[in-house]
Parts: sequence; structure tokens; C-alpha cells
Amino acid sequence: MQLGTTGGESAVLRALTESVIGGEAEQTMSLARQALELGLEPMRAIDEGLIPGIMEVGRRFESHEFFLPELIMAAEAMKKGMAVLEEAIVARGGKREALATVVLGTVKGDIHDIGKSIVGAMLTAHGFVVVDLGVDVPAERFLTEVEKQGAQVLGMSALLPTTMPYMQHVIEELTRRGLRDRVKVVVGGAPVTPAYAERIGADGYGDDAISGVRVVRSLLGLA
Amino acid sequence: MPRRGLCGGLLKFIREDDLEQIRFAVIEVLSEVGVLMEYRPALELLADHGAEVDWAHSIVRIPEGLLQKALLTAPSRFTLYGKTPEWDVKVDLERVYTIGGSCALSVLDLDGVHRPAVRKDLVDLTRLLEAMPNLDIMHQIVVPSDVPELGYELINFATCYSISKRNYYSQAQSAESVRDQVRMAAVFQGSEEAVRRRPTFTEVVCMVSPLKHEKQNSEVLMESARWGIPLYIEVDALCGATTPAPIAGTLVESGANVLAGVVLAQLVNPGVPCIYSIASGIMDMSNGAYSGAAPETTLIHAATAQVAHRFGLPYQGGTGIDAKLPDAQAGYERALQVLTNILAGTNFVHLSYGMMEQMLLASYEQVVIDEEIIGAAYRIARGFEVNDYTLSVDLLARIGPLGGHFLRERETREFYRKDRWLPTITDRNTWDTWQAAGGKDMRQAANERARAILAREEPWAVTPEQAEEIERIAQDGVARAQARRQQLQ
Ligand code: B12
Repeated sequence: MQLGTTGGESAVLRALTESVIGGEAEQTMSLARQALELGLEPMRAIDEGLIPGIMEVGRRFESHEFFLPELIMAAEAMKKGMAVLEEAIVARGGKREALATVVLGTVKGDIHDIGKSIVGAMLTAHGFVVVDLGVDVPAERFLTEVEKQGAQVLGMSALLPTTMPYMQHVIEELTRRGLRDRVKVVVGGAPVTPAYAERIGADGYGDDAISGVRVVRSLLGLA
Repeated sequence: MPRRGLCGGLLKFIREDDLEQIRFAVIEVLSEVGVLMEYRPALELLADHGAEVDWAHSIVRIPEGLLQKALLTAPSRFTLYGKTPEWDVKVDLERVYTIGGSCALSVLDLDGVHRPAVRKDLVDLTRLLEAMPNLDIMHQIVVPSDVPELGYELINFATCYSISKRNYYSQAQSAESVRDQVRMAAVFQGSEEAVRRRPTFTEVVCMVSPLKHEKQNSEVLMESARWGIPLYIEVDALCGATTPAPIAGTLVESGANVLAGVVLAQLVNPGVPCIYSIASGIMDMSNGAYSGAAPETTLIHAATAQVAHRFGLPYQGGTGIDAKLPDAQAGYERALQVLTNILAGTNFVHLSYGMMEQMLLASYEQVVIDEEIIGAAYRIARGFEVNDYTLSVDLLARIGPLGGHFLRERETREFYRKDRWLPTITDRNTWDTWQAAGGKDMRQAANERARAILAREEPWAVTPEQAEEIERIAQDGVARAQARRQQLQ
């Protein structure tokens, strides 16, 4: 979409919002560039352009106007737009204040991918920076990334009774390395229960993606 | 009376020319897109036989010629052996059989309590299933929470194999596990050679969509094939998430994924029986849930029968339902699913007993209710005969239009017994009679029947000494698996 300069700042912000709602990744990127060319502050483009869009998507998802494909595509558009704007922030020597960074993955021995990915998209859609490590993730990898990303939250997924205990192993490793107090650990996956999460020393449990976001927010005191 | 080996296939969802298009698309994906195989020996074997391997990405592309050769050696008729000939299952592209539930984590017990499954549940549910006349293949309906995670399949094998006379549908976490299972079966069958000749169990291997065979998949597949153990080569697609949203696209992905496994198995051991299998479902786009009972899921399962048969392979379809209780939702979901699959000619209707809540929950009562549903569905699928005798013109002439009825006629007495399905827990009384008999709903009736069956002490399929020896091998295998894990850490 090409906007005449006459449209001005509010037009480009509105277009960014619409573009995220529409899940248009390419368009969101080019609109983000246009916003910068118009001289908009990147932080403002994020806060008044992208974020209202993704918030609206989250609202529509919860009220069943939108479904997963819309949600995932919007999260993707959000991510792409963010990348452009964050680059500009960094180029100006700044740093973006994200809500929080979440390191996410399905534990070693387990290749169930989908649930974890949906949780990731939902967190992105709610303004978190999500570092998705994929599936079959060894403890070492979780630890390194938590440290490297300065993550506030570690999310782990397991769908097999055989791999659930590995989440406890990761938590123990976090403690052993003195990282446990730095991150909130949330766990999920079909066979995981709140009682199990408590038993292995996790801070939170999410039954689905929406409750995942809720628990992460409340653990961070954002509720 | 159970109808073992009834023929299905009346119902077709794909037109002939569309079916050909699907076949071409599968071949195209196999030969042009390829399948990722993590296990190096699998890639090497395929490369040796003319498949094109992209070693950097571990992707194998299988040319049509290689596929056709595999389809020539893969049998379309074979026998899955029971412990007694009565339980042999004669497989072809028409007959329909059932497989029990699979790997639930929780149970809904006979006191109505929802709780994690324990080994006692595996024993009791297997005993209950063993008493269901229309069940043909036994599977591990739960994965108990009180057995070790590593090697749990060996404990489950020891339990189910020892209880049931039916062919046992097993799974393995490693090649070594397959060998342990051969040793367990050999305790009953006399020798490993006997197991090789007439295997009394099978293995399932679940591939990843889209188009990926994990290392463990190929390892287990190749070891089973070496032993001549029949294979269910399965894809559990989540339509719209791990496979394309259109049903046709999901059929194509699953075809290419399954057939890559069939080709590999045939290269390892030409002639080893391979069953084209799915336990796919659509993803519910509102919450991401796997839906086993959605109408679209049932369409996928029914349509895949045609695709599998087009490639000349027997087919396993069917999955658990979504309901959490043996309620009206459970009844309608199961009935539509089972009937459609049987009519479509699904050769093995999988997870057909007791499986609820997206395959996470097994219900004792639902096992008994499902037997009833399957019985009724089989009856519908059996249809009826038209010939001089059944047209009954003579009989109609004899009774005539002057009043009278057929109840006292010899023909009626002879015929109805062969023809009618006899319900067990279905009530066909009027309100008052039903009330007088206690006014039980179906769930209560199922509960009582399950309790009655479990109160009977039927002998196990193997002797107590054999069961003990089998258990010993399982425990030994578990210990080895644990030791291996410790070495790795
Ligand atoms: C699809 C599927 C597969 C696919 C996975 C494809 C993929 N790319 O992901 C494949 C075919 C590869 C597969 C393989 C296997 N599977 Co599987 N699989 C399933 C199935 C049917 C659906 C899983 C799914 O994606 N659901 C949809 C998503 C959206 O739901 P979800 O993952 O639960 O996630 C939601 C919540 O749990 C939560 N959540 C999830 N993670 C997290 C994390 C955090 C931090 C939070 C807050 C929340 C959260 O939010 C999500 C969104 O709502 C389940 C059945 C089931 N109902 O779970 C069996 C199931 C999990 N599999 C099972 C089994 C047995 C296996 C195999 C061992 C089979 C085999 N014999 O080879 C292998 C194991 C492979 C391995 N090493 O991991 C069993 C496990 C139970 C058991 N007793 O062992 C199940 C229950 C089915 C069954 N009864 O047989 N499987």
C-alpha cells in the first residue's frame, strides 16, 4: 500500500494497525519503512501502530471472530514490522522496552511442535518477544538462551509422559547454575497438570495459549 | 454373533478421475519434494536402490519406479496371527476389523472418577476389551503412570500380550525394544524363529507431518521389517496445521509420508506386510485442539481408504472421539465415525473402543458402549441379500391379503436369527417397562456390564509361568534402557 504524504502520520499508524489485523507481513514491513521515512519515531510506530493491531487481534480471537490462522498470521506480521522498527531504534542507539522476553521450546525427546508454537504466537500477539527454540530442546540450550536473551520467562512444552520429567531436569539445571531466580518457568502440554507443574517446581502452568498468556502476565505482575 | 471380516467399501467419497489425480500428486511429492529422513542407514539403503538423496538436508526423493517396485512386493493380503487360529485376522483390501484404544493417559473409572491411569487399569481394561466380541486386534489402551517412562512399552507388551489371545498391536522406542518384544513373544510361540514365521504382534511407527521420518521411526521400522513383523506405517496429521487445510492436500501429504516408509520397509525385507495408516484429525482453529470426531476428520479417514487401496495396501483409519463422558456427544461422535469408516472400507478401524478427549482419556463404560455401536454399525454395513428366497413371493402368496401375519411361519423363525443384530445394552422398551426394569440409561447399563465382566476370572492367554517369564524380559529391557540413558547423561 502506498500512502500519499498528505495522509500524514495518523494515516500511516492506522494503516499499520490494519495491516497487522489483516496479517499482511510484507505490507506491515513496507508500512513500517514508510513510517520511518515520514519521520515517525519508531517507538511511536510500535505503540500506536503495531500494538493496537495485535491487541485487537487478541480480542477478536478470544471472542471467536478470529481463529488460529488469523492469529498466527497477525503475529507474523507483528514480528516483521517489529524487526524493521527495532532496527531503527538500535540504529539510533536506543533499546526497545519489550514487555518481556520469553524463551520457549518443547523438551528433549519430544517433537510435538504445534501447541508450543501456538503459545508462542499468542505471546507475540500480546507484545512479548518470543525466542522459539523449536522441539527436542536439550537443557543446555534452554540455559544458554535464557542467559543470552536475558529472558524473564522460560516456557516449556511436553506431550509425553516420557518427556515430562525432563522439564524438572531443566528446572534443576537452572537452579544449579544460579539462574533459577532470574526467570519465571511456565510449563504446558496436554498431559501436564497444575499439580504436576507445582511438583516439579515450575512457577506457572497454562492449559491453553490464552491461559498461557494470562499466567505469564500475572507472574510478571502485569495482570 | 460377531461378524469377523465383514466387507466394507460401499461408500466412496472420491471419484475415479479425482483419485487418479491424488495418486499422481502423491507420486510427484515423493519424487520431487521428498521426505526428510534423519536416520542415515535408511538414506543409504534408499540411495543404493536409486533414490535421490540430498545428503546436506537428509532429504530423499523416491522415483516412481522405486515406489512401484515396493508396491509389487508389499502384499495386499496376509494374516495377522492370533494366539489361537480362531483369532487370526485375514487381511485384504475389503475386510474390516477393529483395533482397541491407544495410549490414553487418564481413565474414567467405574466409580465415575477421572484419574491418571495405573497398571491395574491396563490389566482391567485389557480384560474388558478381551471380552468384546467385535474387537479383533489388541492394543495398549493406556500408558500407566506407575511404570517407568523408559521402556514403558515393554511393560505394556508384557501385560496385554499375556492377557489377550488377539494379535497385539505394539510400539517401540528403539530397535532393541523390538528385539525384546520378539523375545517376549517367543516365550509363548516357542522360539524366535516361530515368531519370525507367524508373528503374533505388529509394530506401529508414527511419522511426523509434514514429510518427516525421525531417526527412531526408521530405526524401529527397519528392525521390525528385518524380523518380518507387520508394520502399521502411520501419519497423525493435524489438518490445517501440520498438513494443508484442504482435505485433498492432507491426503497427498499423508500418502507421500506413509509410502516413503513402505518403500523403506520393502527394501529391508521385500514382502513384509505394511498397513497404510492414519490417526489424523483436523485442528480446531478456535483452540488448536486435535479433533478426532469432527465430521471433516471422519471424511479424511474415509477418503484415505480409497487412496490406500489405490496403492494396493490395506488401510488403518479411525481415531478417538472428543467427548469427555459417555454421553450424547460420545454416542453421536462414535456412531458417525465408526459407521462411516466401516462403510468406507477402512480395513482396521483404529482406537475404536473407549478412547475419548482427543485420545487422552479411556473410559471403561465407553468400551462397552462402543461394542454396541460397532455391532450395530457392522449390521448396517452387512446390508441384505436379494434372491428368490428373500424376495418371499411364495410366502406372500401363501399368507395373502386376507389378514394374517408372518410370525408363525417357519421362514421367519429361520431367518431372523441369522439376520438380526441382537443388542446387549440398548433398551427398546416403552417408558413404563423400562422404568420397571430400573429406568437405567445406557451409561448405567454399560457400567453394570463392565463390572460383571471384570468380576469373572477368565484365564489369561498365556500360562502363569509364561507370563512370569515375559514380565522378567520386560523388566530386564527396562533396566537396560535406564542404564543406557544414564550412560548418555
Ligand atoms: C499430532 C500428534 C503427534 C504428531 C506431532 C506433530 C507435530 N509436528 O507436532 C506426531 C505424529 C509426530 C506424534 C508423535 C508421537 N506421539 Co503424538 N500426538 C499428537 C496428538 C494427536 C495431537 C498433539 C497436538 O498437536 N495437539 C494440538 C495442540 C495445539 O495441543 P497441545 O500440544 O496440547 O498444546 C496446547 C496446550 O497443551 C498448551 N500448551 C502446550 N505447550 C505449552 C507450553 C506452555 C509454556 C504453555 C503455557 C502451554 C502449553 O497450549 C496449547 C494450545 O492450546 C496428541 C493427542 C493430544 N490430544 O494431545 C498425540 C499424543 C500426545 N501422542 C502420543 C504418542 C504416544 C506419540 C508417539 C510416542 C507415537 C509413536 N508410537 O511413535 C510419538 C512420539 C514422538 C516424540 N518423540 O515426541 C500420545 C502420548 C500419550 C502417551 N501415553 O504416551 C498422545 C496423547 C496420543 C495417543 N493417545 O496415542 N504425535
